[in-house]
Amino acid sequence: MRTFAFARADSVARAVESQQGDPASAFVAGGTTLLDLVKLDVMRPSRVIDINALPLNTVERLPDDRLRIGALVTNTDLAYHPDVLADHPLLSQAILAGASSQVRNMATTGGNLMQRTRCPYFRDAAAACNKREPGSGCDALHGVNRMHAVLGGSSECVAVHPSDMCVALAAIGATLTLHGPRGEREIEFADFHRLPGTTPYLEHDLDNELIVAVTLAPPLVPLGAAYVKLRDRAAYEFALASAGAMLSLDEELIGEARLALGGVATKPWRCREAEASLAGKRADTAAFEAAADLALADARPLSHNAFKIPLARQAIVRALRDAARRAREDDA
Amino acid sequence: MMETTEHSPEAAVSVHLTLNGVPVTAEVSPNAILLDVLREQLGLTGTKKGCDHGQCGACTVHVEGRAMNACLRLAVMCEGQAITTIEGLAEGGRLHPVQQAFLDHDAFQCGYCSPGQIMSAVALLEDRRVPGDVTTVREAMSGNLCRCGAYQNILAAIQDARLRRHGQEGGDDA
Amino acid sequence: MTAIPEHHVVGRRTPRVDGEDKLTGRADYTVDHRLEDMLYGYPVPASIAHGTLESLTLDAARAMPGVVDILHHGHFPDLHRSPNSLRQGDAVSEVRLPFEDDRIHYHGQYIALVVAETFEQARAAAFRVKARYHRDAGVVTGLAASDDTGEEVGHYMRGEPELAFGIAPVILDETYTIAAESHLQLEPHATLAEWRDADQHLIVHESTQGVFYQRNALARIFDLPPERVEVISHYIGSGFGNKLFMWPHAVATAAAARWLGRPVKTVLPRQQDMMTTGHRPASRQRIRLGAEFDGSLASIQHDSLTETSTVDRYVDACGGATPSAYACDSVATHQRILPVHHGTPCPMRAPGEVSGVFALESAIDELAVALDMDPLALRLKNYAHQDPQRGLPWSSKHLDRCLESAAERFGWASRDPRIGSMGDGDEIIGQGMASATWFAGRQPCAARVTLRADGSVFAACGTQDIGTGTYTIVAQTVAELTGVPVGRVEVRLGETRLPAGPLSGGSMTTASTLPAVAAATRDALAALQEVATGPGGDFDGLYPASLGVEAGALVAEGRRVNFAEILARHRLSGVTGEGSTAPGDERQAYSFRSFGAHFVEVRWDPGISRLRVARVVSSIDVGRAINPVAARNQVEGAIVMGIGMGLLEGLDYDPRDARLINANASDYRIPVHADMPELDVELLDYPDYRFNEFGARGIGEIGLTGVAAAIANAVYHATGKRLRDLPITVETLVSPD
Repeated sequence: MRTFAFARADSVARAVESQQGDPASAFVAGGTTLLDLVKLDVMRPSRVIDINALPLNTVERLPDDRLRIGALVTNTDLAYHPDVLADHPLLSQAILAGASSQVRNMATTGGNLMQRTRCPYFRDAAAACNKREPGSGCDALHGVNRMHAVLGGSSECVAVHPSDMCVALAAIGATLTLHGPRGEREIEFADFHRLPGTTPYLEHDLDNELIVAVTLAPPLVPLGAAYVKLRDRAAYEFALASAGAMLSLDEELIGEARLALGGVATKPWRCREAEASLAGKRADTAAFEAAADLALADARPLSHNAFKIPLARQAIVRALRDAARRAREDDA
Repeated sequence: MMETTEHSPEAAVSVHLTLNGVPVTAEVSPNAILLDVLREQLGLTGTKKGCDHGQCGACTVHVEGRAMNACLRLAVMCEGQAITTIEGLAEGGRLHPVQQAFLDHDAFQCGYCSPGQIMSAVALLEDRRVPGDVTTVREAMSGNLCRCGAYQNILAAIQDARLRRHGQEGGDDA
Repeated sequence: MTAIPEHHVVGRRTPRVDGEDKLTGRADYTVDHRLEDMLYGYPVPASIAHGTLESLTLDAARAMPGVVDILHHGHFPDLHRSPNSLRQGDAVSEVRLPFEDDRIHYHGQYIALVVAETFEQARAAAFRVKARYHRDAGVVTGLAASDDTGEEVGHYMRGEPELAFGIAPVILDETYTIAAESHLQLEPHATLAEWRDADQHLIVHESTQGVFYQRNALARIFDLPPERVEVISHYIGSGFGNKLFMWPHAVATAAAARWLGRPVKTVLPRQQDMMTTGHRPASRQRIRLGAEFDGSLASIQHDSLTETSTVDRYVDACGGATPSAYACDSVATHQRILPVHHGTPCPMRAPGEVSGVFALESAIDELAVALDMDPLALRLKNYAHQDPQRGLPWSSKHLDRCLESAAERFGWASRDPRIGSMGDGDEIIGQGMASATWFAGRQPCAARVTLRADGSVFAACGTQDIGTGTYTIVAQTVAELTGVPVGRVEVRLGETRLPAGPLSGGSMTTASTLPAVAAATRDALAALQEVATGPGGDFDGLYPASLGVEAGALVAEGRRVNFAEILARHRLSGVTGEGSTAPGDERQAYSFRSFGAHFVEVRWDPGISRLRVARVVSSIDVGRAINPVAARNQVEGAIVMGIGMGLLEGLDYDPRDARLINANASDYRIPVHADMPELDVELLDYPDYRFNEFGARGIGEIGLTGVAAAIANAVYHATGKRLRDLPITVETLVSPD
């Protein structure tokens, strides 16, 4: 673990200001990604700025009834927040399906968005990885790639975005508030994470900015939500495939549907075509399977992960089925 | 001001903690990890290092009452915080009820993961947001690996401590 | 359990005497020790698996704050190798000395040891060491990727197995594989080495399952008399076999401490621990069975190939349990090993046999299906009433009772054998079973017991407690024989200053240690009886052996006098007894094994391809359990480990270059709390007095054997898929779309 300078930020403006002109500086909030990777010599900040003293740790209801989540709200506090449980059960389910109690207690909302991939070649400083060391190649492409992406990959990178929380955010829809040298701006969650393409080292749309808040889109009404996470262990493991689904039902017809995938894609993966295919359909297996086929139409397997495509299909169908059941219960 | 809290890589930083109820000041380097400072510098070796990457839970401590992996936290991030380790649980020479339950249920073998298991269990029992059913408890404890596999007895110890605690609370209410 | 009479302690549920130390953080594991002026070692691992270290660039690392030295090939003292003899007690895990040459045999092999003033400084500098390698062609990434059938290292045969197989009306010929597994013991390997007396006295704290083996090996390596080397291991954060014999980090650390004239502590980072301190090697096993239509086994052939490293030879003997498993006249086993470019493997819980039992007990289940027989009935049909390997009676075998009792508690009779027939909502229930077995062995052991003036007792033995509960059963034994309460017995283990004790391995500790402790206790009591019957004693003039022992007192002629009073009267600090025991000739007359049965229920949700072990019911026959609470814990823990073996665990070596890519506690998956099924473990209580006076065989390993087979057999029942490769993961279960 290399050495670094350390500073504590006491305001958002000064935190952002302090980072300017120092590309090797990193913010630390929960620390669960940063310190893990610094110990592996994968992240090598020369300076770490502690932002935990910033006043970004509340969940507030805006006048338009949306929920605005401060970037420093911990995963645990968010998952158990009464307003989140009431409006966005999918978010709560997804967070509680991820990591461990301890990590959820440390990890923050903003930090979760900044979570790095678990690709073992990314995490091994001696391996070739275009994300870690641009131009060095990708050892995963023809290596042990069981855990890797079947959606959104490129010949440069097939690393999975590991977050569960972000799958829920993708399905729910959210707006991020970023604070940069030129003040605040807002960006849609869907536009925040980038596909690897030829620049896998560019993971998100931050431009010397700090994430200060995540504002959730209004919930569907009546709402059924289900997060189905499939993995080898029963807990404390990243997804092989996960699906977050939300439905509103009018009698047996689907009003609006939302669907996003985790564990199979290079970024939190929203399935808009599949969503559109469900609108107005009867909430039955045929519709769910057709939606799953659409969602995975572009999936491309690697040498060790072909199983992820049928597995993701099953996760989608089960998540939609369970969401529909809950919507019926909610309606009843 | 930022300037007043900027520390160079080689400089020692003073960190003020309330450690097991006692104010402590430690001089640490900016990259020192809380776990290593507790163990190697402050001599509190009850908190264990198993993986050093937040994967095993042997280093679980309470920071401001919440269970956290001490291996994934800079010591300097803990300025002004209250930290409880396994050494701070027993009071007046009496085991904490969760420690006693672990002893009664043989909820350990080699004992190396036990401090972390106990710290997680205590935090879990104190967090009223987390339901007390067996499925939830198993998930909530899954961040603490036990390679000896004493999970059955650990679960029994936790649920026993929960019952006793509620019994007591019921008594207090009455 | 039969009821234990009030005054007996052996066989009674006893809270662990070391429990409070472990649960409060006071227990001193190796990693917890610190010395004044101590330095920290941090090894630098090779990033290739096969080749030559061409050069090291150390300038940047040397210039880092706090760095004292960096040891490496060419900058390391000349040492001797250990003879590596089990018989002489100096076996090591890897004979090659650290930094001995510039060859790289496996990913993670140490190429340097950074020594610095603080842990942070040592780690920071280790990352600045730059290495240049020459990669050699011909890297062997594992037996799965090789056509090489290796070298034969052992075989067994009785009868005419080939012939019998050829004419048997029902035959089975299948191949089973098991991925390499990591022990992933929670306490990493660690060494704290200190030299005294002008480098003539070495004191080492090591997390080890064998302090005497390590002492003897270090004495050879540093050319010291054994009594000038001390090894201490009071608490061990488990080992499961990979702490039996010393690894190179200990040699490097002790050498650094002498070289630099200061104590050095090295705690292996988890990644390096998993790369360099052993694993269960991958195996490929072919089982051929021949049977009559009524299920009688006519032939068993068991051919095993296991990996070893290119730097050392380790044989994981998979066929060990096969010759004595079933009544069958014609049996053959062959064992071969194949060197691959991985770290050297080593014993891991129930080494060899657990792999072999998976293959054999899977094959027996397949045969039952082929015969349309109940697998339990097939096992009883071929029940070995005596040991068919040695032609001797078993000392005590109650496998039939295990099978019947577990089947009854499980509800086996109501199992519908048709595949996928037992549905429950989204899930299908699968039920399978397998037998368990592990050999029962005993080692020589010495112990010392002192009855102290304050009425307490001190017992010492140079064996270890790796979490199995040795501290407690030693205290129970002393308490049983003296009547002093367990809480007044102080036990010291894990030091080479104590009387020589055995390795904590092979499930032999209980059977080896307790007889010696008992002998020492009796010797101490005899000394006290002599004092009490001597001139001026409380029982002056009586025959010493005529005095009874009761609740911490000597009794005779209606009088009882506490040990403490007797010692006080004679102004003695205490009396000490020594005991030294070894296996007798019982092995000439009997065969000794432990037995058990596992019944497993899995739940298979085909809609989401989710497989979970829901319920395990086991009955285990290990003779008398000295401390039933700890014994049951051993079996429950072994079942959890068996779930890992069956469904989760496997070390991933890159098929291109043999680099180990999941050397961490996340990507290498061991079971977590949420994976634990409902467990119902029964310990049968048939004391094996032919084995030792306490009737106890060992219990550390047997619980693991058979679990993976029972899981695979249950998976077949649920899914119709016969899966012969461990771990069984979702890719083999999901329906291709």
